[in-house]
Amino acid sequence: MADVPEGTAFCPSCRKIQPVGRNEDHFSLLGLAREYALDPRDVERRFRDLSRLLHPDRFARAEPRERRLSLDRATRLNDACRALRDWRQRAGYLLKLAGTDVFAEGRTFADPDFLEEQLEWREQLAFATSNADADRLARIAAEARERLRRIEDEVARRFADERWYSDLNVDIARRLSRARYYDNIVADAERASAAVRTAR
Amino acid sequence: MPRAIGIDLGTTNSLVAHVDERNRPRVLPADEGRPILPSAVHYGADGAVEVGAAAKQRAPERPLDTVLSVKRFMGRGPGDVKPEDRGIYRFDEGGAVVRIAVAGGSRSVSPMEVSAEILRVLKRRAHEALGGTPGGCVITVPAYFDDAQRQATKDAGRLAGLDVLRLLNEPTAAALAYGLDKRMEGTFAVYDLGGGTFDVSILRLDGGVFEVLATGGDTHLGGDDFDRIVARRLLDGGLAPPAPSPSPAVLRGAVAAAQRIREALSSEEVVEADVELPEGHRLRARLTRAELEDLIRPVVERTTTPCHDALRDAGAPRVDGVVLVGGATRTPLVRRHVRALFGQEPLTDLDPDTVVALGAAVQADALDRGGREDVLLLDVIPLSLGVEMMGGVVEKIILRNSTIPASAAQQFTTYADGQTGMVIHVVQGERELARDCRSLARFTLKGIPPMPAGIARVEITYAVDADGILRVSARELTTGIEQQIQVKATYGLGEEEIERMLVESIEHAEADVTERFVREWRVEGDRILASLDSAFEIDGELLAPPERAAIEERMRGLREAMAGSDYLAVKAWIESVDAASKEFAERRMNKHVAMAMAGHRVEEFAEHPRVTGSKEDDLENQDG
Repeated sequence: MADVPEGTAFCPSCRKIQPVGRNEDHFSLLGLAREYALDPRDVERRFRDLSRLLHPDRFARAEPRERRLSLDRATRLNDACRALRDWRQRAGYLLKLAGTDVFAEGRTFADPDFLEEQLEWREQLAFATSNADADRLARIAAEARERLRRIEDEVARRFADERWYSDLNVDIARRLSRARYYDNIVADAERASAAVRTAR
Repeated sequence: MPRAIGIDLGTTNSLVAHVDERNRPRVLPADEGRPILPSAVHYGADGAVEVGAAAKQRAPERPLDTVLSVKRFMGRGPGDVKPEDRGIYRFDEGGAVVRIAVAGGSRSVSPMEVSAEILRVLKRRAHEALGGTPGGCVITVPAYFDDAQRQATKDAGRLAGLDVLRLLNEPTAAALAYGLDKRMEGTFAVYDLGGGTFDVSILRLDGGVFEVLATGGDTHLGGDDFDRIVARRLLDGGLAPPAPSPSPAVLRGAVAAAQRIREALSSEEVVEADVELPEGHRLRARLTRAELEDLIRPVVERTTTPCHDALRDAGAPRVDGVVLVGGATRTPLVRRHVRALFGQEPLTDLDPDTVVALGAAVQADALDRGGREDVLLLDVIPLSLGVEMMGGVVEKIILRNSTIPASAAQQFTTYADGQTGMVIHVVQGERELARDCRSLARFTLKGIPPMPAGIARVEITYAVDADGILRVSARELTTGIEQQIQVKATYGLGEEEIERMLVESIEHAEADVTERFVREWRVEGDRILASLDSAFEIDGELLAPPERAAIEERMRGLREAMAGSDYLAVKAWIESVDAASKEFAERRMNKHVAMAMAGHRVEEFAEHPRVTGSKEDDLENQDG
């Protein structure tokens, strides 16, 4: 079998679907450069174009090997798209590719001020939940979302920073870890507020 | 040229459709010339099986031997059947799946077998209408069906001798039929209230791509619930002579009467009924539409939360249109409810009873022809897939509403010193605790080399295919060498059991069944040959030349058998290759002893899904 260049799903000569190359990553599978900044519409367009070619629906009557490869490729494509659509996952993935252990950096992260602030958020949330205060829950969720937007901006700025310095990735990992706290607040506030509405 | 068919295997009614010469989807006659085949199966004491309207007519007279709404039991295990669904049936819950006692108690059938009877009739009708054995087929399932329910449906199709190309979600099928017919573009909701299941899907239609953004629902909510509630009301005071605990036959008669009254009230304001019931009973009742609506309102309102959740998950504050699917959406109260939910008049251009079958036919035709350039369906998994952690908490591995096919891996570690085994409990659902989720499979990973707690690294990978069916694999990573154990979450039936049932079934001799098996065993053969080839490459030095030659000879035998059409021969050669390479596998295992894992295929445990390992085998999430 002839070697197929990286990023090519089909053999140029026999036109058959090929296995995913060893060095492919989420970005290369979509034909994108390894960059944080991307155009969501471009990602969607690439995702659709590739799906049209690779989806198992196109291979329902193909040979078993091709069926398997199509399933594998379509799975990898969907997984890649899922990871790149979300800014947190995209950032975490880039750090991972750069060799930064996102989880370890996040875990060692201990900022007493931040944790104290989190306790306050949690108290507010518990208070609003026990009072079945839907308006207040909605406000808490909105504020947490605003914090997330700010973190997203900060992360984007750091990825765009041309001046390389070694702590940059660690700094981003810490911000991603903070984002997780706010994600949980949004989820919990929404769940509580849905429960309040259902109970009415 | 065999033609592909689409099947809507519904709770109360089933249909079969195909795409005609002029490229238009058409429903085929399924029951004495009518397009709708009631999903009713009657088991006679003499062994005869009747399906459809004839079977449904026997329901009042032979309630225990006539299975209705069997879809509610698909893929359910012992203890999973909700009390309100049990109805009048007698269940045999000794095995891994529920069985229903029929034919005067002389026989017990699984829901999958009952469904296969319905599918067999649809297949025969399609054969008659098309003048030949149908080719590939697509069967629709509620979007909210879990893995076990999907697996059971696929198995039923195979048992009926169908070449199941794909399972397709019902709302997606409806969207496909609508989208192509009406050339719709934008974001749409599909509100599908059938006989027994409720689904809502939010889709984006754009340039022939039908992308499901979110889905939600309730697999135990539908028109059947309306009828049961109305029947209860009718029996209260309307029954003469009164019966404090009516017999199954009387209940069945009352439910049938309730259905007719409810349907009549979709166009009438008031209905008076005077119905003869079995055992000398008579049912007299007068019901107004307002009274009916008061009765069924609580059921209709249960559809609200899934709709809100789906809209939120889709990130779509509003939709460009709402499509109605399912007979129960003819009810005026349901239409008003949908209008209020989505703030607009629902679309009803296509018949809500047939639209799912039409969409299934379009998809079957496309798959059979190797895909359509102009259409692509991108569906999602309806419920998150996870693994049980220490303390019974669920760690989600693939989140709901992920586009399928999808995969994800998670690393775990041991929590006790010297721990050599891990019980991996695969669950599906959104709840925090495993006991509140659907248990799909439980398997034990054995042979982890004894190490201090937290050192061994086991990676569990979940992979969901285009039918929404899950495969789980696990590997130990400590040594950096990859070895993989494939486990397929088969809550339903193993290959062997399906085969046995096929042999027992009437149509087992049909050539297409054999072909199907040949194809499937060829795939298995391919897999084994490929894995041995790669094992030779990596660990070839573990074999003396004559040993390797012996394995290769049998591999040649397998290749030859795979070129033929005798699936039993292929199967026998696979076993032979397995036997010859067993020693090789063991040596490889020893070579990689630090990460040796003599895992079991989950099928071995599937018959005893509640088998649990010892406490020390629990998982601890490394990322915990």
